[in-house]
Amino acid sequence: MTLILNDIRKNFNDHVAVDGISLKVEKGEMFGMLGANGAGKTTSFRMILGLLDPTRGSVTWDGERLSYRRTKLIGYLPEERGLFPKLTVKEQLIYLMKLKGMKNQEIIKEIKHWLDRFQVPEYENKKIEELSKGNQQKIQFMAAVLHKPEILILDEPFSGLDPVNSDMLKEAVLDLQDSGTTIVFSSHQMKNVEELCEDIIMLKRGKSVLQGNLREIKRSYGMKSISISADYDLNFLESINGVLQINRSKDGAVIKVENERVAEDIFYAISDKGFVRKFEVEEPSLHDIFIDRAGGEENE
Amino acid sequence: MNNFWITVSHTAGRRIKSKAFVISTIFMVVLILGLTNITNIIDLFSSDESEDITSVAVVDETLTDNFFGETLASYDDGLFNYVNFTGELDDAIEDAGNNGHDFVLYLTGDISTIEAEFYSDGNDFMMSNEVNQDVQRMKEALATNELGLNEEELSIIYSPITFNEQPLREGGEVQTMETHMQAYWMVYFLVFAIYMIVLTFGSMIATEVATEKSSRVMELIVSSINPVTQMLGKIVGIGVAGLLNLLAIAAAAIIGSYLSGEEFIKMIFTEVIDVWLIVLALVLILLGYFLYGGIAAMLGALVSRAEEVNQALQPLVFLAMIGLFVSIFGLNTPDATFIQVLSYVPFFTPQLLFLRIGMSAVPMWEVTLILGILVLSAIIFNIIAARIYKGGVLMYGKFSFKDGLKQAFTIGKKEK
Repeated sequence: MTLILNDIRKNFNDHVAVDGISLKVEKGEMFGMLGANGAGKTTSFRMILGLLDPTRGSVTWDGERLSYRRTKLIGYLPEERGLFPKLTVKEQLIYLMKLKGMKNQEIIKEIKHWLDRFQVPEYENKKIEELSKGNQQKIQFMAAVLHKPEILILDEPFSGLDPVNSDMLKEAVLDLQDSGTTIVFSSHQMKNVEELCEDIIMLKRGKSVLQGNLREIKRSYGMKSISISADYDLNFLESINGVLQINRSKDGAVIKVENERVAEDIFYAISDKGFVRKFEVEEPSLHDIFIDRAGGEENE
Repeated sequence: MNNFWITVSHTAGRRIKSKAFVISTIFMVVLILGLTNITNIIDLFSSDESEDITSVAVVDETLTDNFFGETLASYDDGLFNYVNFTGELDDAIEDAGNNGHDFVLYLTGDISTIEAEFYSDGNDFMMSNEVNQDVQRMKEALATNELGLNEEELSIIYSPITFNEQPLREGGEVQTMETHMQAYWMVYFLVFAIYMIVLTFGSMIATEVATEKSSRVMELIVSSINPVTQMLGKIVGIGVAGLLNLLAIAAAAIIGSYLSGEEFIKMIFTEVIDVWLIVLALVLILLGYFLYGGIAAMLGALVSRAEEVNQALQPLVFLAMIGLFVSIFGLNTPDATFIQVLSYVPFFTPQLLFLRIGMSAVPMWEVTLILGILVLSAIIFNIIAARIYKGGVLMYGKFSFKDGLKQAFTIGKKEK
């Protein structure tokens, strides 16, 4: 079973929100969708969910279009969190899960199971408005996964969580992946994406600017970063061709360069300047790649 | 379809369980039980005082040798206890001031030109009316007595005539004064009820949609259920809750009237209320609710915050208000051309068609045609509303009619 987005495009009047994205997510894979605010992530998610119809292209799961008839298959955690503030945890999960076709008994059993897992069994009969934001998010996550969906769409699942809860949620996501759930998620926290995803797509203004296996992307990505620890001023390196940026740190600098050849030039340039405690050529972090590709002057 | 009923029961259940619903229903039931039994309740608190009969001192200075005063004093059918006062008028007034009696009636003239002055504290115009009638009756009795008429001759004078109305054209209908007044009050009441129901439940729908939008739970819901199904489920769900409310009130009215055992209320049930008109009113309320409800849901979907609902609902409120005013005005001229024309406009049909049928005769083909237009436009408006709703629920930002409608229409577009 595969989730396939085939050249999808979405126009709102003359504004193009998503412009020709294609991707494939295999069963049990965790796929990351990156992009600045307004890059088209949420619109893409809404098209996968069937909330919006693509202007062009198609979205299929297992060869068939995802529609309201197959809504049981999908779990969704929207970026803008929202539950019924006046209803208790149990009441609203029962309503939301009934819409997914679950039976009462089953829903109550699952609610107990997940509340125990998140170590908050006492919340069952509490109103949502009485819970803290982080705990509301746990309930929101339950609303996405209680019915054991085949595809799980998580829009910014970790934003606004403390490290403990963030790890708890991450573990839950990994368990779901182990049990065969296909997961598509977006995050602004690159660290999370690096930890969780095999494949990614990076969007900018509705277009894909980078796509593929995360490890390969990093290895083959021309840009490298060099960390140098030295006791003297390293600003003179700016004059070397191919140096993109110098970020001074406490005991030296992190220098971004176009490719590994420039690293050699730098090595020779500093070798006769004096003692160097550390010289390390690193693969770029996703953070750097993101800023390089999806950021820039057009970043909103 | 399953999700439709889940939404209906969720919407209706939430509303019925809400404190506001329970309290307002109980309040209405108590109010109606109280109103239908108001005389019993008043009697309960004032049983002693009502024994006091108002006494009227009669100062007879007519040329009949005090005959009037004596006859009135011996007359015990009326509401008052007439006392023949033998002193002067001033004494009687003074005596009334000292609580000797309540009011003073001063009579002068002879039988044919009798004049009466009634001295009272002027609070109750009904009272002087009663006294006037009593004196008139007395005068008639004395006059016929004087003329020496026997019972037979009297009945010739007083027996009522028989007056019947017939339609001019064949198959036409004629409303008698009696049926006209029945219809008048019923139409008046139901026109107002249609207005209240359509508006109250319409705003409930819009508020509910806007609340779900502003709490952002909407996006989660419409990822599981088609927004159009959800919209219709909501309209039906709130309708069910409203129906329960109405049933409770109706039950209270029936129970209350049986408890009271009053003739007047029995009369309302047996004579004023026309079952056919009630059925018609229910049909029109239902159709009107469907039409207004769809548009209310659409307007609710256009706003992002619950506070903006009233602003968005304004056009709908105006429409309903125009319908109400036109129909109250039209109660006296149900056959006016503008009433006939406006009754074809679906937004005014519920009130105006009801008014026309209740107050005059409308041919069957016209009723069918107007109802057909109403049904059709309710469906069309709901289809348009559904598309705007579908787009609107995903849309956030500042509320504006023009941009909002356009944007929602674009987002809700079905591409394939």
